[in-house]
Amino acid sequence: MMLDTLGVGLIGTTTAVFNKAVQYSQCYKSEEKSSVWGKSSLTLPPPYAAFVNGIAVHSMDFDDTWHPATHPSGAVLPALLALAEAMPSQPSGLDLLLAFNVGLEVQGRLLRFSREACDIPKRFHPPSVVGVMGSAAASAKLLGLSPTQCTHALAIAASSAGAPLANTTTQTKPLHIGNAARRGLEAAQLAQMGLEGNPGILDMDCGFGVFYSDYNPTEMTQPSTSGFRWTLEDQGIAVKRFPAHLGMHWVVDAALAARAKLEGRVGNFDPSQIREVTLRVPPSKYINCPFPATEHQARHSFQFNACSALLDNNMMVGSFSEDQIGRPALKELLAKVKVESPEDNHPSFDKMYCEVAIETQQGQSYAARCDTFYGHWRKPLSHEDLLEKFRANASTVLSSEGVEGTIDAIGDLERNRDCASLGSYLKKTVQLNE
Amino acid sequence: ILCVPQKTIRPLCAIRGMHKSAVEVLERPAPEDTVTASFGQFISGVKPQHLSSVVLHRSKRMVLDSIGVGLLGSTTDVFELALQHCQHMYAPDDISSVYGRRGTKLSPTLAAFVNGVAAHSMDFDDTWHPATHPSGAVLPALLALSERMPGNKPSGLDFLLAFNVGIEIQGRLMRFSNEARNIPKKFHPPSVVGTMGSAAACACLLSLNASQCSHALAIAASLSGAPMANAATQSKPLHIGNASRLGLEAAQLASRGLEASPLVLDAVTGVAGFSAFYEDYMPQPLTSPNGETHTFLLEEQDMGFKRFPAHLGMHWVADAAAAVHKFIVGIESNTVSPAQIQDIMLRVPHSKYINRPFPESEHQARHSFQFNACTALLDGEVTVESFSPAALRRPELLSLLSRVSVEHPHDNPANFDRMYGEVEVTLVGGDVLKGRCDTFYGHWRNPLTNESLRKKFRNNAGVVLPPENVEGLIEAVEGLDELEDCTPLLSQLQ
Repeated sequence: MMLDTLGVGLIGTTTAVFNKAVQYSQCYKSEEKSSVWGKSSLTLPPPYAAFVNGIAVHSMDFDDTWHPATHPSGAVLPALLALAEAMPSQPSGLDLLLAFNVGLEVQGRLLRFSREACDIPKRFHPPSVVGVMGSAAASAKLLGLSPTQCTHALAIAASSAGAPLANTTTQTKPLHIGNAARRGLEAAQLAQMGLEGNPGILDMDCGFGVFYSDYNPTEMTQPSTSGFRWTLEDQGIAVKRFPAHLGMHWVVDAALAARAKLEGRVGNFDPSQIREVTLRVPPSKYINCPFPATEHQARHSFQFNACSALLDNNMMVGSFSEDQIGRPALKELLAKVKVESPEDNHPSFDKMYCEVAIETQQGQSYAARCDTFYGHWRKPLSHEDLLEKFRANASTVLSSEGVEGTIDAIGDLERNRDCASLGSYLKKTVQLNE
Repeated sequence: ILCVPQKTIRPLCAIRGMHKSAVEVLERPAPEDTVTASFGQFISGVKPQHLSSVVLHRSKRMVLDSIGVGLLGSTTDVFELALQHCQHMYAPDDISSVYGRRGTKLSPTLAAFVNGVAAHSMDFDDTWHPATHPSGAVLPALLALSERMPGNKPSGLDFLLAFNVGIEIQGRLMRFSNEARNIPKKFHPPSVVGTMGSAAACACLLSLNASQCSHALAIAASLSGAPMANAATQSKPLHIGNASRLGLEAAQLASRGLEASPLVLDAVTGVAGFSAFYEDYMPQPLTSPNGETHTFLLEEQDMGFKRFPAHLGMHWVADAAAAVHKFIVGIESNTVSPAQIQDIMLRVPHSKYINRPFPESEHQARHSFQFNACTALLDGEVTVESFSPAALRRPELLSLLSRVSVEHPHDNPANFDRMYGEVEVTLVGGDVLKGRCDTFYGHWRNPLTNESLRKKFRNNAGVVLPPENVEGLIEAVEGLDELEDCTPLLSQLQ
């Protein structure tokens, strides 16, 4: 997860939203400095490094996804790396790994406090709700705070949680993760200085419960007891193969399979021979966008992703460029798309499926269904494919020394005496002047 | 239907293009017809001449009270903690002033943060209906931003306009739900509408265009919303501090071209925007001033100012208990002592977070009907000093607290416009004395006089500023709409 997150963050430093965030953050200065990933000489105060690196991670919707739904790593890793750099003595790799897993575990536990969290969200964007809590927990762990201080860190963070779903599909979405990282870090720092919040914050409906319509918190089992299991052991993570909302991965795999069937019968693929394309997808308004006009909308459009996959027989980072979104062939195909939401298609990343049915002018029909896309937790990416994704992403900004050095540092993380080397590889860029 | 969005460089045009041609397909309103766009239009288009004299007068009172309360608040622990945090985490960026700390400056958003914390640190700041604390979220951001603007500072009138825009936006947003009318249970209102108000005010001061103003609001929505559970704790003041800071941040990001949802204020089924914070949500577009007139909400609904630093609800029981105190002192002795009192019954609205029989901290005491009633019964009033550590532990007070019971009559709603407070004291001799307050002095129905407001300001500001600054600030605020440049306001805060 760490490797994928770093790769995704590095390529994310090439986006417009990242650049705006960096420009904004440069008006702050401090004596403590933390690195901006993929920039050889740029540093920022730690909370702002966490902010911009978090934005980079989520800037293209390319980061990891869990069940119940959130993007857990982007809220935690940027905060931890920024904090680690600023600490008087560098934590070991194992300390970093432990804090990272604390940040994930807290998110996983919180997501299980409501049934509402199991479905694709409608109200609050989950990373903004649980992500900041995870960041606070992880930062508190790395700082070595007492149990009471850790509790207050969570309470303070709760007052920074919660962004509405409407800003997903816009340029502001990545800030949900950037702010989760930053404000969780801040909450831990404030708790360290003695700030107190409500010690019952997770127990109360008017506490963390405000973000859910059904809320049933349960106590956490302690690691020392025999019953303890990390949530990550029982519930794996989905890693994306291309930068779009998770739901798109089902429809793309189905579209690719449907196209293969057509090609297998007909011998070639000619879009003008298509009369209609029917998509059978779960009901979810914010990923149902018939004619997206921006990259943000395109990443959240069943229709766009299906058509793009049909035309190109592939989905990649470049599929969402302005040119690709604007191509006439794509728009022609989009106009032939019909969307249905069958009752048995539940809007949950654990249960949904997508079907793509192509009907030709001759009346032939080629359909395929995807229940589990490659990269989903039920069908995880192989180690080779994970490394390939990382290399493709990281090499857009890092030299090969930086790329391979990061892979080695993460691979060996629990044996590293300090994580400074990891930080240094993230700064070995392709060009030294930016 | 084939739609052909124009290939453009500026994403904004692409969105407009899509909406125009896709209207038939998506049945979405054209951008100009959305609630969100109407807000952006208002913020960008409203002018100083749209401020009536009533609004000018009322808003200046708010500015004065807010500064005073903030200056006093700069003596609190939570303020000190927030300030140290900002100074440790960030180098002294020599730009925006910190209330009451000569020579201490921070970058604008952090100055907005600490000054906002100061304003709300003692729960002494203004309160409106529907309920929120509007000024503390807006004023610190505007002061910080003004100090940072290069060249000429804004005129006093431009400053007042931006301030009033920040207040107006908060008022309008709160009228989008019935839930907002009652004492809150879920999200702390300043954290919901305060951030939006700060964003609007800063967008106005920065003269952003209508579209940027809308985006500032949308970016701010993703920074709004803190749970009620942190009220009555040391973290509560950060709700206002963060509202101010994050609203300013949102406006600054919008000025750099960051975009967010163009429908954030509209009601879109299946995808929550600002509606995420309410159970019932019915947004209305904001009419922009045409020609000479716009009626600001402040004209129709005045502000409440507190006479002592506690939750607004406390003011009713304090006034009711003070009446009983006065009676007892008048007929029996010079002081009231627990020995005279058999029991005390409070009749107050039902609201869990201000019903605390034995508060253990100053934060809890400021949110306790019981504490405030007993204090006023003993002393005849509640003051800043009533919440000191010594005062919290007084034996006479603790003794009275154990004799209090609370009732929630059906006709006493948890609503600052309609609630009342009744204090019924049974004396040892058997006599029953009853005090009732429907409208405390300082409530919008019975506003503080200008003399009372100035007195409150002098008491507060005088704790940290020299007398010249105190009087200088009074003069600057009262003449704010005539100042060509608001430097006199900015330069005397520390």
